[in-house]
Amino acid sequence: MNASTPALEVRGLVKHYPGVKALDGVDLIVRQNEVLGLAGENGAGKSTLLKALVGLVTPDAGEIYVRGEQVKLRSVVDAADHGIGMVFQEQSLVPNLTAAENIVLGSEGAAVRRGVYRWDTMRRLAQEQLDKIGSDIDPLARTDTLTFADRQMVEIAKVLRIEERSQHPPVIILDEPTSVLESKEIETLFAQIRRLREFASVIFVSHRLDEVLDVCDRVTVLRGGQSAGEVATAGAEPGELHRMMIGSTGSDDHYHENAAAPVTAAEPRLSVRGMSGKTFHGIDLDVAAGEIVAIVGVHGSGREDVCRALFGAEPTTAGEIRMDGKKIDLPGTRAACAAGIGYVPAERKIEGMVGPMSVAENMTLTKQRARCTGPFVAPRKQAGLVDRWIERLSIRTPGRDTAIGRLSGGNQQKVVLARWLVAGDIRLLLLDHPTRGLDIGARSEVYRLMRELAASGVATVLLADSLEEAIGMADRILVMNDGRVAAEIACPSGGKPSPLDLVKEMV
Amino acid sequence: MSIPVALQPATVSAKARPARRLTGFMPIIALAVLVAALTVADPGFLTQRSLTAASRTAAPLIVLAAGATLVVLCGGIDLSIAALASLSTVLLALWLPDLGGLATPVVVLVATVIGAVQGTAHVLLRIPSFIVTLGGLSILSAVALVVSGAGTVRVVDDSAVKWLDLYVGGYVPMSFAVAVVVVALIALVLRVTPLHSWISATGYSESAARLAGTPVDLVKVGAFCVSGACAGLAAVMLVSRQFSGGPTMADNLLLPAVAAIVVGGTAITGGHGSVWRSLAGALVVTLLRVGLPIVGVPSAYEQILYGVIIVVAVALTLDRSRVSIIK
Repeated sequence: MNASTPALEVRGLVKHYPGVKALDGVDLIVRQNEVLGLAGENGAGKSTLLKALVGLVTPDAGEIYVRGEQVKLRSVVDAADHGIGMVFQEQSLVPNLTAAENIVLGSEGAAVRRGVYRWDTMRRLAQEQLDKIGSDIDPLARTDTLTFADRQMVEIAKVLRIEERSQHPPVIILDEPTSVLESKEIETLFAQIRRLREFASVIFVSHRLDEVLDVCDRVTVLRGGQSAGEVATAGAEPGELHRMMIGSTGSDDHYHENAAAPVTAAEPRLSVRGMSGKTFHGIDLDVAAGEIVAIVGVHGSGREDVCRALFGAEPTTAGEIRMDGKKIDLPGTRAACAAGIGYVPAERKIEGMVGPMSVAENMTLTKQRARCTGPFVAPRKQAGLVDRWIERLSIRTPGRDTAIGRLSGGNQQKVVLARWLVAGDIRLLLLDHPTRGLDIGARSEVYRLMRELAASGVATVLLADSLEEAIGMADRILVMNDGRVAAEIACPSGGKPSPLDLVKEMV
Repeated sequence: MSIPVALQPATVSAKARPARRLTGFMPIIALAVLVAALTVADPGFLTQRSLTAASRTAAPLIVLAAGATLVVLCGGIDLSIAALASLSTVLLALWLPDLGGLATPVVVLVATVIGAVQGTAHVLLRIPSFIVTLGGLSILSAVALVVSGAGTVRVVDDSAVKWLDLYVGGYVPMSFAVAVVVVALIALVLRVTPLHSWISATGYSESAARLAGTPVDLVKVGAFCVSGACAGLAAVMLVSRQFSGGPTMADNLLLPAVAAIVVGGTAITGGHGSVWRSLAGALVVTLLRVGLPIVGVPSAYEQILYGVIIVVAVALTLDRSRVSIIK
């Protein structure tokens, strides 16, 4: 191997999931002693690609080369043997063990003899790893007494064990390492990454483009499961990256903006004043009938919790919520349902639907009265109602009695949406990533449905999957930052802001 | 709104359907196979006399299992049913002299309230139902010992509960008929009201049910109430048969009741199942208990056979396509 052979190379990697092409022929090169940034919107294929690199996902096609040699990575251990290791987004340390135990966990080596820990050896091995990154963390400190930043250092030290294992300069993957860190801790981490470059290659993933440009030598942008291009970071602008991430928006009316009705209502339908909770503070929010308001913010901005709080699924400590001027008492999802509020959760398969139950049962789960006569279920009434909505939303299903889990993601989402519509009493829809995991066609149908509902007077709060989606769909955008509303940006059809206007407020 | 209709051909293979239907009948098939096997082993088994005896023995178990099935469908478990039934036999025997015919409804009511208390503790204090009812089991057993003075309470005048020990048409034990009616009643209510959707949704995925606005907590407490009421009714059946109440009288019915539920094919993880399945399961369990000695299986092998058949029966009856987690 000479100095110009890439440490890691990926060619034409493909991975299908039912209904989605997560990776569609990705190419990627990581050079020796290089920090490579990986950028892309949600659903661009970043996490699938990373999982393929550490053996958690087996690609359908394509090749992976480590130092010029083709490899098949079947497990994390396999990847570690080839010198590839990952610091996971959710920290993967065991909290009630010491730092040293965590560092050697899974690759104990000489630290265990005849099934028994040899504490001195373990401590020495752990100290060697910590020395590599110049950290002064006490290897015998319990992990849960360490700060987030220190725990991250422990994770990096742990991952560096693969260097001994593979006897080669390692490739370290950092998946959104900054999302839980304070700005000062981020500086420490960046110093650490620059240090790693001396003896390793690094793949760095972050949603914050300024960070990517700051710490990386080069950035590869993914879009729709493909490599959209690469940028040398010297002198590059975040806007340039962002344009590559979202691609050319094209002229086709993806978000059905022509169907956007002007908002005329004088009184707000939903009016929130000073709502506070664990992760958000003093939220003021008005949504008029027929209006779509998107809330954007980085991971940890608190927008998801605001959305759940509006539905009574997350406790609030202060503030009041009014629907059409009438105060409603939350929490409790029952009160929200009764007030005409509907919620489409982000985790469709876990929270949105009951997989083994039929389309009909899922559709009528909330508004039981729509299928009942008195206290009794009226089978004919139910059949008529459900069939009507299956037709109206073009839900592709073998029948109303089919288990919803057997439908494709887009059709499942339509059933979940229909749940709130069947009674005809919906006044406010809270959509938490309603297009997550859906392909382009299904997305477009959900967008059209949102437009139609807005036109019929339903107020909508949208947590979009991407900035582009938020800008395309919303009449108004609230930017949240660190639990507070940082800015409110008008977003009328014909006068849309650019993603950069939003990013400015988000970070 | 005008949306073009674009229905696509079915995505589910037609093959899956008969299989699905078959698993619905599995508990009955298992029951029939068991009866056939017992008859082959001893042609004298399939007589009116032994069937009458078996159904009379099965009645309290059917009622206990049917009530607890609702809790299991909600994703929980009620371990206190047998202890509650024992306590109820004691209370009934103690109250019969004073209350007469009123003693039966009062005991069932008390059992219902005890069920409600456990259910409320489960949902309000957010303690797993396994733990709450394990505590309940211990408490109720002890209370039964205290109020009974740690001995059997004889019923001198059993006229108020005698009716349960009669026979319909001379062959069908009244207690068995009542048990079937109870099962039918629960099944009917579930079928014609939204309760079935609510219970299934709670059992399959509590978070999804909650976010759909389903009254999850109410449904769970309700299930515990029915479970308690059924334990009370089972106690009345036991007293009518044994002319006495005892602090440990029903204790040996706990594991058979749980076995009946799972042998019927109700998923112990919640969501999927029915009370009819538990009826079939209770009959299977009872037939094993009374049938194996009748056909001459040595008692040492009886337990081995019982265990093997229970596991095999669940392997047959559980519809795995409806159950995501097997734990």
